Amino acid sequence: MTVLLRVEGLVKHFPIRQHLFGRETAVVHAVDGVSFEIDSGQTMALVGESGCGKSTVGRLVLRLLEASAGKVFFDGEDLMALAPAQLRAKRRELQMIFQDPYSSLNPRMTVEQTLVEPLALHGLASGRQRERAAELLDLVGLAPQYLQRYPHEFSGGQRQRIGIARALAVEPRLIVCDEPVSALDVSIQAQVVNLLQDLQRRLGLAYLFIAHDLAVVKHIASHVAVMYLGQIVEYADKDSLFAAPRHPYTQALLSAIPLTEPGLRRERILLKGDVPNPIDPPSGCRFRTRCRYAKEACGQQVPELVAVDGHSVACHFWQEIEPPAPVTQGVAVNDRLARLQSAFRAGNG
Amino acid sequence: MTALLEVRGLRTTFKLETGGEFTAVDGVSFSVESGRTLGIVGESGCGKSVTSLSIMGLLPKGQGRIAAGSIHFEGRDLATLTPAEMRSLRGNRMAMIFQEPMTSLNPAFTIGDQLIEGIRCHSELSPAQARAHAIVMLRRVRIPSPERRMDEYPHKLSGGMRQRVMIAMALSCEPKLLIADEPTTALDVTIQAQVLDLMRTLREETGTAIILITHDLGVIAELADDVLVMYAGRIVEKATVERLFAYPQHPYTIGLLGSIPQMHLAQDRLNAIEGQVPTPMSGLAGCLFAPRCPFAVDACHQHMPPLTDLGDGHQAACWRAPLDSEMGTAP
Repeated sequence: MTVLLRVEGLVKHFPIRQHLFGRETAVVHAVDGVSFEIDSGQTMALVGESGCGKSTVGRLVLRLLEASAGKVFFDGEDLMALAPAQLRAKRRELQMIFQDPYSSLNPRMTVEQTLVEPLALHGLASGRQRERAAELLDLVGLAPQYLQRYPHEFSGGQRQRIGIARALAVEPRLIVCDEPVSALDVSIQAQVVNLLQDLQRRLGLAYLFIAHDLAVVKHIASHVAVMYLGQIVEYADKDSLFAAPRHPYTQALLSAIPLTEPGLRRERILLKGDVPNPIDPPSGCRFRTRCRYAKEACGQQVPELVAVDGHSVACHFWQEIEPPAPVTQGVAVNDRLARLQSAFRAGNG
Repeated sequence: MTALLEVRGLRTTFKLETGGEFTAVDGVSFSVESGRTLGIVGESGCGKSVTSLSIMGLLPKGQGRIAAGSIHFEGRDLATLTPAEMRSLRGNRMAMIFQEPMTSLNPAFTIGDQLIEGIRCHSELSPAQARAHAIVMLRRVRIPSPERRMDEYPHKLSGGMRQRVMIAMALSCEPKLLIADEPTTALDVTIQAQVLDLMRTLREETGTAIILITHDLGVIAELADDVLVMYAGRIVEKATVERLFAYPQHPYTIGLLGSIPQMHLAQDRLNAIEGQVPTPMSGLAGCLFAPRCPFAVDACHQHMPPLTDLGDGHQAACWRAPLDSEMGTAP
């Protein structure tokens, strides 16, 4: 497996000024030293709660935002070193899908114009751009007669498909998916998740999948990085992370997911309070103010992200923490339901 | 025992700009007993929020109206109440919390002002007594240093804190019925866990009946006693929460459960429901779910199935229910 994307020590600080030209009064530590890799054809999920910096990382990787420090290598090439024209050409290989399918499509452009624009920009499919646009729609499961329609004529799920088709137009190798299904209804969300997986298998795409929904992440990702206040606190392959989470934050996050299993009373790890202000993050371990295992040392020393057996965690005391019972302990598999549900698959296998 | 809330054959319609009306909620009947929590689950546009606005008398004036059916609260027909009587009921005997706590708090007034206003509207308490009561309420929803928070403005609070303030406000007059419309949808999962835990505790302390409206089946499983599943403005299934998850009968419920990635299963592919929810103007003659239903037969496309009892109070609106005989899935 080859490494497609390597991110090293990514930092993004947003200065806060009292006036437009005033001096900097404070700095928001949005992303603070984030490193990871994605292999080609794989999905890495970046999870965390609002304000943890996961979307900022996505934008930094594509250089939609300029990083304060750090490096991004795509296929061995340093993206930070590219001149604007080179970067534009490179973006053919790195695309993005946004959360809100309503605001990410131009309401004045037909679907055909939306899909042809990236082709024209990169000089692709010249002479047969219309056919290519129809192919792209077919790829995402929409009929070619939709080409002449405008975004407002589509439902949320269909618009997200158009957004995906637009990203696919230039045949990228990596797509940054920023909460691609969180604005969609449950049944539509499942359609789009299936579509993303099918496209990955067919086209060998790699995804940087940014999400807050851990159940979706467990379904789609091969590797997961958990972020808290601008830093990765845990990183592992999916199975290892969900089976044996090591960081107290990941443990709390997993235990907070409501399961569709009434009557099952799990021990839930309730976190105290709210996420601290990223202008003034806590010293040492940033999670310590909400951590039930926090000790004095946690306030003094920043824990490094250390890998043991390929499973990285940034916690001084993770080995001393008794691992919680698996989140799904006591959940029974409902065979009847599974058989009935398989009928829904028959039509769209 | 008479139910606290009894909704019968509710039909709510909205005016169209082009003239005419469309039906957002049709033939919805249910009751809520004191101390019970009824979950209403469904996707955007299924009519779950319109149902709650109809109960609260909060349909947008001149646009939405209750076209048929009745709503009885504590034995009184709400349609016969004057606006003033309705106002004294709302926020007092029945209260509501909304999805977005930022837009439901007034940014120009302090938390304390807003809490005290509600309390004084519905009681004879003096300003000082109302303030003391407001502080007690903030403490009950576990807001740290409530005396200090009273004088702060909503923008100073986090999303989870604002939702706690909303809950404190809704519960300050000890309502008999609390309608919670997507109370945790805008919150992060760890904050959601805090708020769900709080709602569970408060329910035990006060015995308030709750109507919990959500799209999240996980939240339903956590909090509800009974569940209504709605699709395209109608109830398609009604059951206790245990039965609904263990033994769902309506194909839509089955499909919805299959659409959620499950933490305990390694699924290769989600069993997505293909297609989309029909628009209210679709003019479908039969079952509204039939175009997306893998079990549909001819009859389903021709006649609307009524909500039928399947035993033990479990009801489903499906011509094929129970599906088990042919599928070989009898329990």
